[in-house]
Amino acid sequence: MKQDEALIGDALSGSARAWEVLVKRYETRVYNFSLRLMGNQTDAFDLMQEVFLGVFRNLHRFRGESLFTTWMFRIAHNKAVDMNRRRRLFNEHDLYAQQDAEDDADPLDQLTADLPLQDPAAVLSEQRSNRDINRFLSALSWDQRLIVELKVFQSHTFDEIAELQDIPANTAKTRFYTALKKLKDLMEQEHDMS
Amino acid sequence: MTCHKTEFLITEYLEADLSGRQRSILEQHLRECAYCRQELGAAQQTQAQLRTWQDETVPHWNRVPESLLKPGKPRRISGFFGWQWAPLAVSFVLALAVLTNVRISNTSDGLVVAFGGDAGVSEAVLLEQMARFEGQQRLQQEERMQTLTVRMEQRQDAANVQLIESVVSQFGETTSRSLEQVIAYFEEQRQQDLQVLQSSYQQLADSDYQTIRSVQQLATYVQYQAGSR
Repeated sequence: MKQDEALIGDALSGSARAWEVLVKRYETRVYNFSLRLMGNQTDAFDLMQEVFLGVFRNLHRFRGESLFTTWMFRIAHNKAVDMNRRRRLFNEHDLYAQQDAEDDADPLDQLTADLPLQDPAAVLSEQRSNRDINRFLSALSWDQRLIVELKVFQSHTFDEIAELQDIPANTAKTRFYTALKKLKDLMEQEHDMS
Repeated sequence: MTCHKTEFLITEYLEADLSGRQRSILEQHLRECAYCRQELGAAQQTQAQLRTWQDETVPHWNRVPESLLKPGKPRRISGFFGWQWAPLAVSFVLALAVLTNVRISNTSDGLVVAFGGDAGVSEAVLLEQMARFEGQQRLQQEERMQTLTVRMEQRQDAANVQLIESVVSQFGETTSRSLEQVIAYFEEQRQQDLQVLQSSYQQLADSDYQTIRSVQQLATYVQYQAGSR
């Protein structure tokens, strides 16, 4: 298996195949990152495309001083922040808009020709679980959701988060702790109701 | 029961790259503080629940940008001097040319590029140009008014026919009284149309005079600029 750096070099020389391999390697991570942050498939798909377009346009700037994934997720983080800002500006960030986006999603988009068919029951239970998690996450503020994503799912340290978001590390810690407490309360409430 | 160290402890404990010494200090506190123990347990459980997220598969999409798909064409990743800046650059140059009043003329000495206004333009020439422009504007205005009047008349005729049909169908027969009412209604409508027409004409005229005034101001400015050089 070719290393990221080799694929980047080939892609920069004009190899469409190398670029495709690189994208396929990371698209699932970027898509799920987007799904958790944006809360619906339509926006997540848009964000993923924006991220890879940004990566492609800036590929010649990648110097290999950090891991390719670190560099790529920095772009992903910035694109997510931009998209959230745009969404807020256009007042689309409400539950109804999210529901509409879910409803408007083309079911044909869910077909994945690249992968073998999965057990339908497993797919259903997986989506329900993800849907629950997304419901909990969407109860958080944008900043809290972003920090949970970076800490829990991307396993960043607080110092890395502080640098990425240009905030003091202590602010990142407090924000994360508050978010975690809120999530715990929500999960407990749901558990009590069921 | 609470503990002022809880937030610090949990956030530090969940940090992946804690040194052995740091971890042992935290664990020492955890052995002594039931509240922190409970809170840490809850935080870890919350994290664990979040991590049950199952990666969803990516919908089908075109992964390769078009610029990579064109065969034989050397790929160029957009840089600062990429083509996307060309329209902006052209706009800038044109704006600069307008602001500095650049003139390019072909004389017997070849192409001559001059900056600034032409001091040779006399006031009489400017006034003549203005008068011509004003005349053209008036002609256009009259044409537009004629078109507007024709359209208004056509629309009113159609409305009148519709009204007569509606009245006839409602009463079955045209009595002299209903005809009088219809005529009175027509007269009233005509008066209203005339008022609408007058106000439209006034708006049109105002807008044209405003344009003329703007052009006059521009001409005065150009003249002033030319005179000051």
